Amino acid sequence: MLNSIKPKGRVVFAYLFIPLGIYLFSVFVPLVTAAFYSLFYWKSGPAKTFIGFDNYVSLIKDSVFWLAFRHNIYLVVLCIFGQIGLAFIIVLLINSKLTKLKGLHRTFGFFPSTISAVYIGLIWTMVFDQRRGIINWVISKVQDIPTRELPVWLNDSKLVMTIVAIPLIWQFIGYYMVIILSAIASVDKEIFEVSEIDGASAFQRAIYIVLPLIKNTLIVCVTLCIAGNMKVFDHIFTMTYGGPGYDSIVMALYGYRTSFDNGDMGYGCAISIGIFVTSLAVIGLTNVLANWLSRDKGVA
Amino acid sequence: MAQGNVVVDSKGKRVYGKTKGERVRSGILGVIMNAVLIVFSASCIFPLVWMFYSSLKEKRVFNADIVSLPSDPTLENYRRILSNSDYHLGSSMFNSLRTTALSILMIVLFGYIIGYILARIKFRGNRLIYVVLLMGMLIPIHSLLIPIYVVFSNLNLSDKWFTLIIPYVAFGLPIAVFLVEGFVKSIPVELEEAAAIDGSSFTRTLFSIILPVAKPILVTVGIIQSFACWNEFSFALVLIKSVSLQTVPLAMTQFKGQFASDYPKQMAAMLLTMSPIIILYFTLSKHIIKGMVAGAVKG
Repeated sequence: MLNSIKPKGRVVFAYLFIPLGIYLFSVFVPLVTAAFYSLFYWKSGPAKTFIGFDNYVSLIKDSVFWLAFRHNIYLVVLCIFGQIGLAFIIVLLINSKLTKLKGLHRTFGFFPSTISAVYIGLIWTMVFDQRRGIINWVISKVQDIPTRELPVWLNDSKLVMTIVAIPLIWQFIGYYMVIILSAIASVDKEIFEVSEIDGASAFQRAIYIVLPLIKNTLIVCVTLCIAGNMKVFDHIFTMTYGGPGYDSIVMALYGYRTSFDNGDMGYGCAISIGIFVTSLAVIGLTNVLANWLSRDKGVA
Repeated sequence: MAQGNVVVDSKGKRVYGKTKGERVRSGILGVIMNAVLIVFSASCIFPLVWMFYSSLKEKRVFNADIVSLPSDPTLENYRRILSNSDYHLGSSMFNSLRTTALSILMIVLFGYIIGYILARIKFRGNRLIYVVLLMGMLIPIHSLLIPIYVVFSNLNLSDKWFTLIIPYVAFGLPIAVFLVEGFVKSIPVELEEAAAIDGSSFTRTLFSIILPVAKPILVTVGIIQSFACWNEFSFALVLIKSVSLQTVPLAMTQFKGQFASDYPKQMAAMLLTMSPIIILYFTLSKHIIKGMVAGAVKG
């Protein structure tokens, strides 16, 4: 069959050796190393003491780690509704016959997702700024509040998680919008026309026709959204650094602060393994759920 | 709620067209819908516009009124950040360019080779390699942040000019391989068989016969990764310590620390370091959007 073009094993090996080496070195070696060092007490300096699973015992009892985990989940939930939900609504608007400038909305809408998260964080730090931010500028125009009494948005313990979610949501609406748009574009146009002739309202069309047809794409979007928010780091690093206190801490940032600010490398490695396990569990769980959902519909 | 353009006339028959009332209603609806979209688009582009014209203001002018257009535009901020080598803007741009270019080159090349081999050559371990790469896409990369720091500093690999290329290539490889593998499978095998009959070696077939055919997918891979590499921050943060080796996002966080109160200067620096991405995006937006969607959905 393909024998005529089959190269010698040696040649294949030579081609695969370097790239796979780099890959294994950057992905699997660190994981194994982290698992190893997580069994040590290793704080600022070369001295390491073997302490068995003590780091993991601390991790399970560590309220900050679980707070960070809850913050990640909170962001996931907000972003699923904020990013994918709003993206879906905007897609319906763009696909309507009544709207114009579709190409422009697509280009502009997608733009924020191409920028580095650091820049998004910096821009929104300026937007939220107490004295020179856009938000407070608008407030001060509407209400007569002295500048000193305007809210310091990123310093509000209760609101800060919701506030840092806004840039995250904003950045990726366009991204999901484009994915959903291309999914709808691949659906046969006749379906929409027929349903319109049959007198389905736009709302009915959206819920009963568009939604089921792009269900698989939506599942992909949700999976992307979950993976993206479990790893969120850059935005929060630039905007609040997890503060005030630990009020906007997320898992990756907690690992970073423990390792580099407190110099606690052993425990930092344990946290990394903790992040690995919890993220994988959340992503795995959603995959199971997604499979179950699509099978359920397949039978019906 | 929108009514379709279907109206039932007095005899209960469907006619296509709109009554006057309906036309008015859909007109109003259209205005609202367009307005919502315009607000959305504007919000996406506003920060860029705001940053651009604010960067032409002096700090004093900006602080007096943060939103108004500059009455007396000046390039002073740009002149200052570019003339002072302590800010390392030029060198960080150079570092980002070098890291991005070399990473993309290696991701495309390696991704192509592995993707082709996995798609076409049967050998023991083919599926194993496939699964190992698939795991790379499932593994939460951010859990590698501290571990990779530990490994790289133990082996004295951190804080070198080539340091970042290693993880960037590794993290970009899985998606590249999957895109290429899927693409190569759609190329007819006859092409390679004909080449083999004509006496073309494996290497020659790989690079001079299949490579031109696979070009579109390689461009897609390159596009996705150019943004990913240029924008990457967290691994650069832990692996790079020298100011002279900083990439652009890293330099910007430092810049923020130095000029927390000078927004126009920060904005000028951000715009300058974003400019390659902005230009690339707005000249090739159609291709870029298409490529990114392909990458996201297949990945």
